[in-house]
Amino acid sequence: MTDTQFDIAVIGGGPGGYVAAIRAAQLGLKPVVIERENLGGICLNWGCIPTKALLRAAELRHSIDEMADFGIMVGEVKVDLAAVVKRSRKVAGRLSMGVKHLLKKNKVTVIAAEAKLGAAKGGLRQINLSNGDMVSAKHVIIATGARARALPNIEADGKTILTYREAMVPETMPESLIIVGSGAIGSEFASFYHDMGVKVTLVEALERILPVEDEDVSAFVQKSFEKRGITIMTGVKLQAVTSDANGVQASIEGHDKSLQASRMILAVGITGNTENLGLETTKIKVDRGHIVTDQWGATGEAGIYAIGDVTGPPWLAHKASHEGIICVERITGQKDVHAIGAGAVPGCTYCRPQVASVGMTEAAAKQAGHDLKIGQFPFAGNGKAIALGDDGGFVKTIFDAKTGELLGAHMVGPEVTELIQGYAIARTLEATEAELMATIFPHPTLSEAMHESVLDAYDRAIHF
Amino acid sequence: MTAAPVTAAAPFPETKSSDKPRVFASPLARRIAADRNIVLDRITGSGPHGRILRRDVESAAIAPIAQTTAAQAETLQAGTIQQGDSYLVANSQMRKAIASRLQDSKQQAPHFYLTVDCVIDNLLEARKALNVKAAEGIKISVNDMIIRAAAMALIAVPEANASWEGENTRLFRHADIAMAVAIDGGLITPIVWAAEQKGLAALSQVTADLAARARDGKLAASEYTGGSFTISNLGMFGVREFAAVINPPHGCILAVGAGEQRPIVIDGNLAVATVMSVTLSADHRAVDGAVGARWLQAFKGFVENPVTMLL
Ligand SMILES: Cc1cc2nc3c(=O)[nH]c(=O)nc-3n(C[C@H](O)[C@H](O)[C@H](O)COP(=O)(O)OP(=O)(O)OC[C@H]3O[C@@H](n4cnc5c(N)ncnc54)[C@H](O)[C@@H]3O)c2cc1C
Repeated sequence: MTDTQFDIAVIGGGPGGYVAAIRAAQLGLKPVVIERENLGGICLNWGCIPTKALLRAAELRHSIDEMADFGIMVGEVKVDLAAVVKRSRKVAGRLSMGVKHLLKKNKVTVIAAEAKLGAAKGGLRQINLSNGDMVSAKHVIIATGARARALPNIEADGKTILTYREAMVPETMPESLIIVGSGAIGSEFASFYHDMGVKVTLVEALERILPVEDEDVSAFVQKSFEKRGITIMTGVKLQAVTSDANGVQASIEGHDKSLQASRMILAVGITGNTENLGLETTKIKVDRGHIVTDQWGATGEAGIYAIGDVTGPPWLAHKASHEGIICVERITGQKDVHAIGAGAVPGCTYCRPQVASVGMTEAAAKQAGHDLKIGQFPFAGNGKAIALGDDGGFVKTIFDAKTGELLGAHMVGPEVTELIQGYAIARTLEATEAELMATIFPHPTLSEAMHESVLDAYDRAIHF
Repeated sequence: MTAAPVTAAAPFPETKSSDKPRVFASPLARRIAADRNIVLDRITGSGPHGRILRRDVESAAIAPIAQTTAAQAETLQAGTIQQGDSYLVANSQMRKAIASRLQDSKQQAPHFYLTVDCVIDNLLEARKALNVKAAEGIKISVNDMIIRAAAMALIAVPEANASWEGENTRLFRHADIAMAVAIDGGLITPIVWAAEQKGLAALSQVTADLAARARDGKLAASEYTGGSFTISNLGMFGVREFAAVINPPHGCILAVGAGEQRPIVIDGNLAVATVMSVTLSADHRAVDGAVGARWLQAFKGFVENPVTMLL
């Protein structure tokens, strides 16, 4: 190794880390990324991207069932699971290579090793590498991400009881499946496996599925999941889970009959990768598995920052990347750097129906004491959705009655994950209902429902 | 929803293109500012390229007006005289805005001053006659007549209705006259838009309303932002004459003194007349001396022969 001294050392090459390193290079610094596994992190290799590739296969599979409605007759359909999974892995691999090229293009040094913080000497922080080498840097960004959280009484064996890692590379399809946890990951797997012909039971401890979403959205997704044949159990506490060659049995508090299935996926959240990093030699604080930082990513230890999944929620790739950028800009003293504002991170779930939201839910907005104007427009009133044959769902917008601020937007239905950024831009530009109403939305598009929802908040919807 | 009134077909009103320099602010920032009577062009934006965002308006709104602290009050009460005894009052957002705007004005606008005396006996008489005839509730003030005369003079000498913008000089089509109103902790300059188009009765209603709402802090930002010319009147304090600092971006400000009886010479004879001295401060970048002088001449003409301003 030629270089051992850097301006910024980034531990972890996920969407938080590699983006931070590229930004640092753009600003004229000399960065290094240290990655122990695959560039692109969970997101590209075991998260966002491979799951979207799987969901696309499920969506195409599902669309065949609707072909007759469009006058297209299809013969016998066969799913080659191995090919589905292979494609998903190929997509992930291609993107991971892409990250490698991007880092090279930006002259970011990449080291394949596990990193551990060492001593601070003369304004430099030493980092010990698993290959025996050592590097040092003026600033260190910890972007080590997270892994699936375990439940105290359930151990994931990777065969019958799975975490997301095994769940996205199945060799065979189970006959039946229990998914524990109905957040984005659990709901996406429920949708995927169901479309692939598996009998799915989705179990949630809280009172509703997709608990961080607006209540109306949760209710809608629950109804459409159930209509498809997914069994949903909410407000349910798993007691004991046992597994054998035949599958899993889960007993539930207050129920006599235990649940049975061939497999189980645990999707009950994540915990930060904070171990074996040498944090104990620093003033860095860890709270419930995640590193504590200020809004710029600064930790309790001068010169060491943390971003992405290893820090606080929301645990999303785009949030990790944005934190990486503002952290580097802050370190280098750029002008006009702003911390991520409350509710500024949009969230998307790519199950069928898709879910997307930004800002406050209705309940949160009420609790914050706002007087509200709420609009809701169903895709059943949208020409494009009807033409697509996918007109379930709605767009809900929540405004502050006094200032016209768009407090929150919640969407469920066709391609809403591609639409939500319209509202995100509106919020960043601090648009009010007036600008949204005055904007011309092209016809026929799904986005017209976004316009109508705003109009509806002010009793002016045209098509409903 | 209430039904909107449907009116007979009429030509669409002409939309007025704004001549004001554009202030870059988010829609939400504008709305909150309007709601809280905050002038946007006095706020520094923290957004991209200095765009004013909600947080800028909100922090301007909560800028503290300091109170005397208990400790300070105690010292004041103790009665012992200390050298250099003083205390600090935090500058309000308005104070800072006045300070920075007027400092800019004095540093950037090369001021020159022209003074004339106006005999206002005729004007006072005309005012009396008008008020006797005026409808209930309407009381035309001397100040209203001065605004009217200034507006007419701006139309007669349009070169004086100008504002310096570096690459260009902006010439206003209307006499958008800002009148300085003293309020708690500072002053504010609400604008009588297109004053030349308002008769004295209408003008007096507008000025009374603006002044009252200015004192109550109820003006919308749009009511005191912009304009083409300022009038500052300290006559009611007995000030004989003074020179005012130009209120940017205006090109001129007229400082009006008290109308007082003074000896004057008419055709070689000493006489007594009510005389009001006015001083025009002009920005030499936009308005030359001769233009200022012509404007004052026109103004004086309207004031001394009030019939002409009634046309
Ligand atoms: C199934 C699934 C689906 C998801 N879908 C979405 C989605 O659709 N949209 C979305 O926004 N988010 C999604 N996420 C979340 C998203 O993957 C994470 O938010 C994102 O990856 C976080 O990025 P990061 O850079 O903080 O961490 P990671 O992506 O976890 O990257 C951390 C990297 O650090 C490396 N590392 C850890 N410790 C060390 C060490 N000591 N030395 C060297 N390297 C180390 C790891 O190998 C890893 O590559 C999903 C997650 C899962 C599990």
